[in-house]
Amino acid sequence: MIFNYFRNRKLMTKLMITYILVTVIPVSVLGYIAYKQYTMSIENQVGQYIPKLLEQANTNINNQLNDYKALPDALYNSSQIIEVLRKDAYQNNSALFRDEFLVNGILSRMYMTSGNSDILGVFILSKNRLFQSTKHPEINVNIEEFPSFLGEEIDLKGGTEFILPNQVGLAFEGDPPYLFMMRELRDYENQENLGTMFIAIRLNFIEQAMQGLTQDRDPTIWLTDQDGRFIYHSDPSMIGKVDAQFPHYPKINGSFRTTDWINNDLVSSYKFPSVNWYSFHRIPLNELMKDTNVVRNGTIIAFIIIVILSSVISVLLAWNVSSPIKKLTFLMKRVEKGNFKVDLPMEKKDEVGMLAKSFNSMIQEIEYLIRENYQIELKQKDAELYALQSQINPHFMYNTLETICYAVEEDDKEEVIKMVTLLGRMLRYSLNNKEKLVPISLEVSHTEDYLTIQQFRFEERIHFSLSINVDQKNYVIPKFILQPVIENAIKYGLDRCRNINIEVRMKVNNDKNLLIEIADDGPGMEEAILKKIQLSLHQNPMLRDSQYGLLNVHARIKMMYGERYGLDIESKAGSGTVVYLLLPLENNIERKGVS
Amino acid sequence: MVSLILEGLGGIALQRKYLLIGVLLALIVSGCNMKGTSKEPYHVVYSSEEITEQTEYQNRSTYKIAIVPKVMNIPYFNAVEQGVMEAGDDLQVEVIYQGPSVANARQQIEVINQLVKNENIDVLAVSANDPEQLLPSLKKAEQMGVKVITWDADTAPEGRSFFINMVQDEALGRHLMDTLAWNIDEKGKFAIMTGADTAANLNEWLYWINQQHQEFYPDMQLVETVAANDDPQQAYTKAKELLAKYPDLDGIIGNSSVAPPAAAQAVLEEEKVGEVAIVGLSSPNPMNEYLKKDVVQVVTLWSPKKLGYLTVALSKQLAQGDLPYDNQEISGVGKISVMNDTVIMGEPIDFTKENVDQYDF
Repeated sequence: MIFNYFRNRKLMTKLMITYILVTVIPVSVLGYIAYKQYTMSIENQVGQYIPKLLEQANTNINNQLNDYKALPDALYNSSQIIEVLRKDAYQNNSALFRDEFLVNGILSRMYMTSGNSDILGVFILSKNRLFQSTKHPEINVNIEEFPSFLGEEIDLKGGTEFILPNQVGLAFEGDPPYLFMMRELRDYENQENLGTMFIAIRLNFIEQAMQGLTQDRDPTIWLTDQDGRFIYHSDPSMIGKVDAQFPHYPKINGSFRTTDWINNDLVSSYKFPSVNWYSFHRIPLNELMKDTNVVRNGTIIAFIIIVILSSVISVLLAWNVSSPIKKLTFLMKRVEKGNFKVDLPMEKKDEVGMLAKSFNSMIQEIEYLIRENYQIELKQKDAELYALQSQINPHFMYNTLETICYAVEEDDKEEVIKMVTLLGRMLRYSLNNKEKLVPISLEVSHTEDYLTIQQFRFEERIHFSLSINVDQKNYVIPKFILQPVIENAIKYGLDRCRNINIEVRMKVNNDKNLLIEIADDGPGMEEAILKKIQLSLHQNPMLRDSQYGLLNVHARIKMMYGERYGLDIESKAGSGTVVYLLLPLENNIERKGVS
Repeated sequence: MVSLILEGLGGIALQRKYLLIGVLLALIVSGCNMKGTSKEPYHVVYSSEEITEQTEYQNRSTYKIAIVPKVMNIPYFNAVEQGVMEAGDDLQVEVIYQGPSVANARQQIEVINQLVKNENIDVLAVSANDPEQLLPSLKKAEQMGVKVITWDADTAPEGRSFFINMVQDEALGRHLMDTLAWNIDEKGKFAIMTGADTAANLNEWLYWINQQHQEFYPDMQLVETVAANDDPQQAYTKAKELLAKYPDLDGIIGNSSVAPPAAAQAVLEEEKVGEVAIVGLSSPNPMNEYLKKDVVQVVTLWSPKKLGYLTVALSKQLAQGDLPYDNQEISGVGKISVMNDTVIMGEPIDFTKENVDQYDF
């Protein structure tokens, strides 16, 4: 179906589509695939490399955490502290304060003044007593202020737990995010609970462990617990919040990327070795592909320019092919309508040029053939007309001879001689057929002869007069154009009337044409008949019917001189008829020169 | 990109339908992208391993652990029981604490056989009354898929996978000798009261007591070593006999936990307080009064609660397939040390009248 559809498209469209199919699409597909492959390889490379760094960082953090976890163990080395913690009740306040002073001092020496600087504070909650030591002694937490949920009711089962940042309402100077480590102090010997120890640890150690990952680029790094709560985040304000996306992340040690349409990130994750913590590293793919994208954009621009240029070229090429064809089609339509005066100008020597050339020559050939054909036909017509014009009506002949016969019987010699002479002259005129055109004078004298003979026959019934106002010698007219018209007038005139008066007038009209009027005072014509004759004059001058003589004359004039000339009739029933013959004023010499 | 070009061309020559084809082509070209979007929000680029979350549930399958003491109902083993029960609670394991009513091997074997037969236990932890006699029944238990360890008192190594010792035998034995020496100025006569004379640990300590005596205290004289089979009544009788037999006796070392209280009772009754020094192994609670009255000078022991707790913790660990290792941190116990197939819980504690109130066992 598509092929059919395609087959019926315009040539230009076809060329365009083919061009796109053959060049633009493969090139762009190839380019796309190459770019995709390249970015994928970068993605894979980074995707493999980052998790390894994360694993390393996780191990470091984990080691650090294990170190922190071991911190409370130091307490067991101090029998003084253990002894105090084992105490249940006090006799008086001073004894309690003495113990507090003792323990706080030891805690301070143990954790604050020596060792890790990331420890912000140490607290021991034991049997309704709070021992503490913090970096900034002015921060003194009251036992009432100590978050109630951190109390002794928590059964840690001897283990250590981390309370994540921002979960505790304790703030240290500068408000640094910290991890609150919670550890049950177990009296190993008595298997009793001595209390709970809390150590607040600044998150710096995580940052330090992640340093290797932030060197060259600027990624987002975060740590979450198994619920997706941020333990650490490059953006400190996020710490303590929950990552809503966390449950959707693939549970892998490795890398994955988001699959939006644009602005995708490459996320790497790695689980901690012993706790259910996860470290994440996110970097926008854009940043990874920065260098590649410059090349890509350059390539795309170059590609687009090339595509546009080549499209323009292909459009021009296609237009070059299709436009002459279109023109050709248009011209052919014109030829189809009969106009052979067309020319397809084409200087090119390619196939299109050749096509145009042969079209031109074909049109010329066709025109030549048509003209030749037309002329053959014209000659045939000519011959036919020649035969026609040379006819002298046999009826007229018979009548004339009969009139002569009567004259012989009456022994009117003079009349006989005259009539025979006139008839002889007429016959000679009609036999002398070599010339189509004759000087007006010859035609006029032939007409006079004819009318004179008719006068002999009908005597007083026919009157005629000729008034010739042109140069009879020098101007020529076709032979036998007057006699048929007069014949017609006499025939119809004497049928109905007693007498008939015929006038022949010749003059040059305003347009310098020869106008011949043959007027009679015969019965005239009914309007309907006149219409019919006029119609046949306009339509088909070759029709043979009763008005044959008139039509013959009309056709001959037209054929010789063109559409502008011919015969016209003006008539009214009862008041005679005027036949007009319009001819060009043709000079004798001129004419001879041509033919 | 392709669609963009096609759109451009569409503007030049193509009609709507070609635009459609162009868009279609663009979709096909970017097809790989589409797949990702429609399915999952994340596309895995590289995965070194799938994460299996370490949840507590995995450890939840409860194990059944039988702890068999040498004898029931003496303060020492009662304290062990407390530790055992606490650990069972903490570690979510089912524990059975059951032992013979008399500290001898025959009855203990019976208890063990019963447990193995009836209780479908995973781990059997025994404080052995005899290192040799228990072996057949322990081996039988092992054949039935029960993992066997010993604690407090060991058997021959082939009978168990490892032994949980409270303290180092040598250190304890020598220390016991030292504590007596301090209190009688390293001279005079003394006697030793021990438990069952077959118990391996007691004999080991005895050995080291004697070693220390011979090496460092020539002026001291060991008059007699008596065994009281961990029976308080019997121990009391033996103590009386000793006092009667040796009127000039200067000190008594109690090598089993029932000995020091029995000796103290005897000394108190014979009104020989201050004349006969008593040291030895015993829990602080029964000795509290004697220590405060200066009847007994020092008692040495470890925490039997801690021992019970550790035994359960290591039993559970063994049930999960892990052996203890040196310097391992056991939650609720602290760090342990491991030498060959012996776990050592820690250091012995000396209880005096000054610190005895801190301890509750």
